[in-house]
Amino acid sequence: MELIQQAYNGMMTAVIVILAGLIVLSIIRSILGPGISDRIIAVNMIGTMVIMITAVFSVLLNENYLADVCLIYAMISFLGVVVLCKVYTGVYLQRKHMKADLTAIEDNLKKQEEEEETQI
Amino acid sequence: MTGAWIRFGISAGCMVLGLVFMVSAVFGVNRFKHALNRMHAAALGDTLGILFVILGLIIIRGFSMDSLKLSMVIMFFWIASPVSGHMISRLEAMTDERLGEITVLEKNNGILVDMPDEAREDVKTPAKKKKAKRGGKDR
Repeated sequence: MELIQQAYNGMMTAVIVILAGLIVLSIIRSILGPGISDRIIAVNMIGTMVIMITAVFSVLLNENYLADVCLIYAMISFLGVVVLCKVYTGVYLQRKHMKADLTAIEDNLKKQEEEEETQI
Repeated sequence: MTGAWIRFGISAGCMVLGLVFMVSAVFGVNRFKHALNRMHAAALGDTLGILFVILGLIIIRGFSMDSLKLSMVIMFFWIASPVSGHMISRLEAMTDERLGEITVLEKNNGILVDMPDEAREDVKTPAKKKKAKRGGKDR
């Protein structure tokens, strides 16, 4: 019984260490990423891995409340991504003086084609 | 005793599978060149990676209140992750000026490779012509 407990502890510690290494790689991408959406993708993935680490800790340390922390963290990370997307869409549209609704993509494409025609 | 070891094996297999998915997701996010391709790799880790890691934990825990909470984490993530992916892709479609351009492939020793950005600037005019032709049909 002692041996199997050691095996469980070693496996979960290894999972946590590997996930921590992956978080470092994601931080590198979030610093390097050329566009704003690359950074948001990397930060979203860091949030996913933090949730996984918290879930593993809740089983490893035998603490029930860490699962609740997991749920709340998932909700806040989702909210953060949605708010960041809204904010940067608004910033971009304000900079370009374009419409701020769903037809903005087609408007953007139409403007690009007009610019190309004037260039030619 | 044997049953306990079988349970350990199943849960370890699930967690290793989830880690494989996470490693491939991080690898893809670091390797791909465009944001939409990166999003495809990140969505893999967001769904399958977290599913298998938490499934391994649920198998360790057995049938209890704790595993119910962990399965609620999976359920919430499977609902929320596609929504956030959709938001990010809409942001990318709005803000990327060169989204409609066709990726130029060049032959390098018989293998088709994606051209680097500096090389793409030189052949910009043929790529734009192609886009204009294609664009008339599609839209």
